[in-house]
Amino acid sequence: MNKMTNPHRRLQKELADLKSAGLKSFRDISVHDDNILFWTGLILPENPPYNKGAFRIEINFPAEYPFKPPRITFRTKIYHPNIDEKGQVCLPIISTENWKPATKTDQVIQALIALVNDPEPEHPLRADIAEEFLKDKKKFNKNAEEFTKKNSEKRVD
Amino acid sequence: MSGDGESDMEYSDNDYDDYYNSGDSDVDQIDPKKTDPEYFDYKCLLVEEVEKLLNELVEKLNTRIEITPSLAKVLLHEHGWDVEKIVSKYRENSNGLLITARVKPPTNDQPTPSTSSSIACSSSSWSTTNLPTTSSLSLHRLCPVCATSHLPDKFEKLACNHSFCKDCWAMHFETQIFQGITTQIGCMATKCNVRVPEDLVLNLVTRSIMREKYQQFAFRDYVKSHPELRFCPGPNCNIIVRSTSCEVLPKRTICEMCQTQFCFKCGMDYHAPTNCQIIRKWLTKCADDSETANYISANTKDCPNCHICIEKNGGCNHMHCFHCKHDFCWMCLGDWKNHGSEYYECSRYKENPNIANESIHAQAREALKKYLHYYERWENHSKSLQLEQQTLDRIKTRVNEKVMKAQGTWIDWQYLFNAAALLAKCRYTLQYTYPYAYYMEPGSRKDLFEYQQANLEAEIENLSWKVERAETTDLGDLENQMDVAEKRRTTLLKDFFPSTVSNTFT
Repeated sequence: MNKMTNPHRRLQKELADLKSAGLKSFRDISVHDDNILFWTGLILPENPPYNKGAFRIEINFPAEYPFKPPRITFRTKIYHPNIDEKGQVCLPIISTENWKPATKTDQVIQALIALVNDPEPEHPLRADIAEEFLKDKKKFNKNAEEFTKKNSEKRVD
Repeated sequence: MSGDGESDMEYSDNDYDDYYNSGDSDVDQIDPKKTDPEYFDYKCLLVEEVEKLLNELVEKLNTRIEITPSLAKVLLHEHGWDVEKIVSKYRENSNGLLITARVKPPTNDQPTPSTSSSIACSSSSWSTTNLPTTSSLSLHRLCPVCATSHLPDKFEKLACNHSFCKDCWAMHFETQIFQGITTQIGCMATKCNVRVPEDLVLNLVTRSIMREKYQQFAFRDYVKSHPELRFCPGPNCNIIVRSTSCEVLPKRTICEMCQTQFCFKCGMDYHAPTNCQIIRKWLTKCADDSETANYISANTKDCPNCHICIEKNGGCNHMHCFHCKHDFCWMCLGDWKNHGSEYYECSRYKENPNIANESIHAQAREALKKYLHYYERWENHSKSLQLEQQTLDRIKTRVNEKVMKAQGTWIDWQYLFNAAALLAKCRYTLQYTYPYAYYMEPGSRKDLFEYQQANLEAEIENLSWKVERAETTDLGDLENQMDVAEKRRTTLLKDFFPSTVSNTFT
């Protein structure tokens, strides 16, 4: 692309709006190393087995933002059918085919939190965990809870 | 202009038939539509001709329903360029038609203009620092994509009323075009599926390279959505073939420009009598099993009589050992004497009648054996076709020499080329009978098919033998052989080549 897009104005506004909204389930939002294209934040899920911990995520915005979607990665390890060992997450709202330039980061975060709270085992990134989720919910809950206790960050509610 | 177009066509068609049917009795009255199972009516068109054709359909639809040409194009693209279908659907339920074509949003979640602008204005306090004067402040609106305020005339929206600034629209279009998306570009609002028509894209995208890309990709989408149009699959060929038979049939199409021969329906190599699904299945199977089949594609075999190693250097499967003079069949290595009569059975696969009772291991071996039987013959005829092309090249050189020595003219030797061309045509069909037979259920229809296939194969080998020795073969004998081989070919196609789309194995 020759024409320059300027994602800064939009991102500054989104950041300010998100910070002032004071979401319960998404906190500690900060811009990494003064680079407005690179955010981090803490996800605080409401539903068990994830409601005992906090999960740090990274949001990477491309230079073409908002005409191309951001990417989200989990920095905290999580035992979840839709999030793999590398922290990659399959979120339809930010896939290239579905992306809409008017979609705000706020909406993306809401979709992410909904996915963490209610896993979608129909299209898993980790087939083993999805199978356990469907076939043995008790075992899944136990494993996920233990994993959360061991790996996640402390919640400051 | 109204719906008369159709009846006009019918009238002129009848006229045309009458003209020929009542015509001169000397004229051959055989209608190829009925006698030739491979008959197919088509035209090779240039890009400009197709653009004209599509534009005419847009105009035609425009005169029937009130809609912009760009939206007419969206509807035509969505409905296979069928003007009548669109008009009748439009009369039935115009709103429903526009919603399913994604020209309009579904009625329940359509935002009103007032709410969308109030959302945009409510947060504009944030960017006041950017504005030149306070007097124009009230006129400015915030674009939700770039988060910048602009004057209202900088905004553009679709039927869904989602309003964004023109710069953002243009950037969105360029990003999409860059990814090869054109006719499917959507509105920028979250969850809105309304499509962007051509005129808005071309009004806002200014860079000529992007405009050209858009038009080029969109044209491809339009051609692909038109059931009567096909891009010629030939490399770097820009010809578009149009079926004038009113049906999409798996018939032989030859590009006038690059001579590429293909099936109109699926765009792959022509494959009569096999249908499009079966040939795709067969080719995938061959690609998967190529390793197993590798050993059989060796080019040499031993003479079954004297065991001297023989390389096959001609297309004919009737082998004549130069060493011991034994005549045998390259395919089955049997005595050729049995191939000259109606007992020609080399093409037929004999299934083990007891197979159901055998072990799984034996069944697998039998399945492989069956596949190899058909694959060997398929592959062999493909090789023969190539070898016969070499034979033709040799004939050309020799004829050239003869003509130079004043032994007749090119016209005198023309029959040789005709014979070689016919041989290639027949062998091509024969090659494609093997995938057909492989997937046929055993039964009387398969028996009949294999009987006709065997007849065709026998005559083709006779013809190939005679073409290779054409200069010493009697002309009348050769012509007779050509006639017989072609008759066998058309008989088989008439009985087994699907003449309609729905006709498969029954």
